[in-house]
Amino acid sequence: MRLAKSLQDIFEVFLIEVKRVLSDGGVILIFFIASLLYPLLFGAIYKNEMVRNVPVAVVDQSKSEDSHRFIQKIDATPEVVVRYRCNTMAEAEQLMKERKINGIVFFPQDYSTSLAEGQQAFVSLFCDMSSFLYYRSVYSGVSAAMLDEMEQVQLRRYASAGVTGESAEEQISPIPFEDVKLYSPGGGFTSFLVPGLLVLVVHQTLFLGIGILFGTTREDRKSLELIPQRLRHKSIYRVNLGRALAYLLLYIPVVAVVLFLIPHWFGLPHIGHIGDILLFLLPFMLATIFFCMTVGSFIRHRDSGILCFFFFSILLVFLSGLVWPQSKMPTFWRHFSYLFPSTHGLQGFIRINSMGARLKDVQFEYIFLWVQAGVYFITNWLMTYLENYRHLKRNELREKIRMQIEMRQANKRKSSK
Amino acid sequence: MNSTLKVLLRELDRIKRHPRYVIILTLGAIFSYVFFLTLMKEGQPEKLPIAIVDSDGSYLSRRLCHEIEATQGVEVVAVYGSHNEARQAMQQQKIYAFLEIPKGTYSELLDFKTPHISLYANNAYLLAGQLSYKTLITISRLASGAVHREILRKKGVSEDKIMATIQPIVIDSHFISNPWANYQPYVLTTVLPGILGLMVALISIYVFSEEQRLRTIGDWMRTADGKLIPAMVGKLLPYTFLFTMLGIVGNIIFFGFENYVLLGSFWSLTLVYVLYIMAIQSMAIVICVLIGDMHMAICVGAIYTTLAFTMAGFSYPVTSMPPALQGFSLIFPLRHYYLTYVDIALYGAGAKQWLMHMLPLIGFIAAFFIAGLIFNRNFKRGKRYRMLHPEINEPQPPTTDTKCD
Repeated sequence: MRLAKSLQDIFEVFLIEVKRVLSDGGVILIFFIASLLYPLLFGAIYKNEMVRNVPVAVVDQSKSEDSHRFIQKIDATPEVVVRYRCNTMAEAEQLMKERKINGIVFFPQDYSTSLAEGQQAFVSLFCDMSSFLYYRSVYSGVSAAMLDEMEQVQLRRYASAGVTGESAEEQISPIPFEDVKLYSPGGGFTSFLVPGLLVLVVHQTLFLGIGILFGTTREDRKSLELIPQRLRHKSIYRVNLGRALAYLLLYIPVVAVVLFLIPHWFGLPHIGHIGDILLFLLPFMLATIFFCMTVGSFIRHRDSGILCFFFFSILLVFLSGLVWPQSKMPTFWRHFSYLFPSTHGLQGFIRINSMGARLKDVQFEYIFLWVQAGVYFITNWLMTYLENYRHLKRNELREKIRMQIEMRQANKRKSSK
Repeated sequence: MNSTLKVLLRELDRIKRHPRYVIILTLGAIFSYVFFLTLMKEGQPEKLPIAIVDSDGSYLSRRLCHEIEATQGVEVVAVYGSHNEARQAMQQQKIYAFLEIPKGTYSELLDFKTPHISLYANNAYLLAGQLSYKTLITISRLASGAVHREILRKKGVSEDKIMATIQPIVIDSHFISNPWANYQPYVLTTVLPGILGLMVALISIYVFSEEQRLRTIGDWMRTADGKLIPAMVGKLLPYTFLFTMLGIVGNIIFFGFENYVLLGSFWSLTLVYVLYIMAIQSMAIVICVLIGDMHMAICVGAIYTTLAFTMAGFSYPVTSMPPALQGFSLIFPLRHYYLTYVDIALYGAGAKQWLMHMLPLIGFIAAFFIAGLIFNRNFKRGKRYRMLHPEINEPQPPTTDTKCD
């Protein structure tokens, strides 16, 4: 009987909250439009995966057959394209300053003669560091061309040392290695960055939306409206559960699109076991919702939540270990990052979704998220309880004062009669 | 001018009475500085955990382990007996890469056969995966080089010729203005202005919505003698000042204490900074005018300012984005700030160059005045309406004051 009653209460709160979400333009914008707009934009922005055909200039003072062949090999790599050929370094530097090129390859005068004399030949490479992806492309493109060129020179040198034919080839690479780049074979930027950002989008849109909702309720002084009168300010957990349930159900379609369909559409890695992902996302969503509701208790006005906490979105990208490896963070920040459900949510999701880990491989994150969900549920309950308590006290006081005033007025009326 | 000053004083008085948001945002900015300066202290992640799968157990594998331990980039945290174990460790994120040495590698090498070793790197984490991959490749080359050297020595080649045979071509790399490929100056110099920009955009929209919420627009306009542009300028100036100061303090830390490379002049960078903050505030007003509803405007402002981090193009170059988005990137002041910063700090380019990149920032400020004029017209229409209906001109008592919490 009690259970039925509490379920009924939860359901009632749930309905009120769903109506509230759907009647607020700002929340709809954040919950349903921003959460889809970001993933679509990310998909479009990072569509090309890698930075290809980065323009470089070549300064060839050796003007020899060797340098010519090298330049052609550089031009043939997918990463780099030789856009300018300059006579002097100053000319190339000017082009670099004008941002027309992102790298300079310099062949000194003695390049060809050094090679002919069997000495080491030097090639200088200047990389634009304004974006690390430029530098990576230029560096790996030129290195690849260099290795190819080097092999041929080595063959010649071995021949002069008296090693020829097949055995020479074996000598050049005595231990050939195969390199396998796992989980994002192309080494693409998109496959690495976007799955993590998707998790953060879910986390942050929920945070903003719930922050706005809580701020608005307080601003309208309706914070207690949600609690059915018959609860008489007891069994507050029903309110918390009802609200959380509303956000959870409203977010099911969002999560389905953002974390399942978007990776499919944009060809991002999605080799995870679908059951595992669903099982993993449940505590993530609960922890996130209760976390947002707890922080929401501190938000007094509709817009102040956005104002005070929103800059955290950027910090979370770094805190979650997406950019800077988690194991290399200072201990304090690593522990600080455990406060946010996004950290473990992102790590776990990447490992299941992009790396094909099973639930038991992300045990630590999984358990931690359940613990977070529990802890934030309790803190949320506490905050609601305190707020109610204060409200009750204030109402009692107000009632008392009203009674006193009425009594005094009645007394006055009596005495005047 | 006088009316601007009056509004400015009024705004300062408001801040003095309710300093909450200014304090929170200042603390938030300081927190961000401390966070980024301490998080990436190493500049480049060092001693990344990797593993070796050693099925050979020979001299060679032990020697490779020693070579690896001597490097800065990676650290061997475990030696596994099988491929599956290592792969699982990778999925549990204990390691970022592993090297697999198959059985019989060393004996094959001695028999002049070519054994294969395999190298696995985790690309789901780009920075860590690629760094450990790069280090391991270098080590494999070094190992090959060691074998080479012994063979050539046996052939009687002289020592200086050996080096020239093993590595006939050397690339001498120069990383312009960031010689150690340090992450900190790369990320901080753009992300922190971005965060300050985000804050100033949101507070600029917020102060307008606050006037609306407290129904003090009438009072505000009376202070400004009914002139809209002085009213807005006076209101925004305190925040321009605060966030410019925070930005300059940041730049002093970056270029003065942390010694990031700054080839151009500090003052031109400061000038660009002031313009950047003003451009962001202008865009905030443009958003307000276009949307009208302040609650909605602050949501849109939040979306707009976070997109700026992606569209600035410092992580993923704008030139690699689809053409339509390349055009889209122009409406983000952070994009122009980043370009000017690169010109001034990394290349020490002449004023002619960076002024070109600064022009759009001035364009944003011009947009502010246009928005102001449009707003003004709408506002005057509203005023005429109120003159015809004096009953709605009554100043309403502030129903919800900020004290209610």
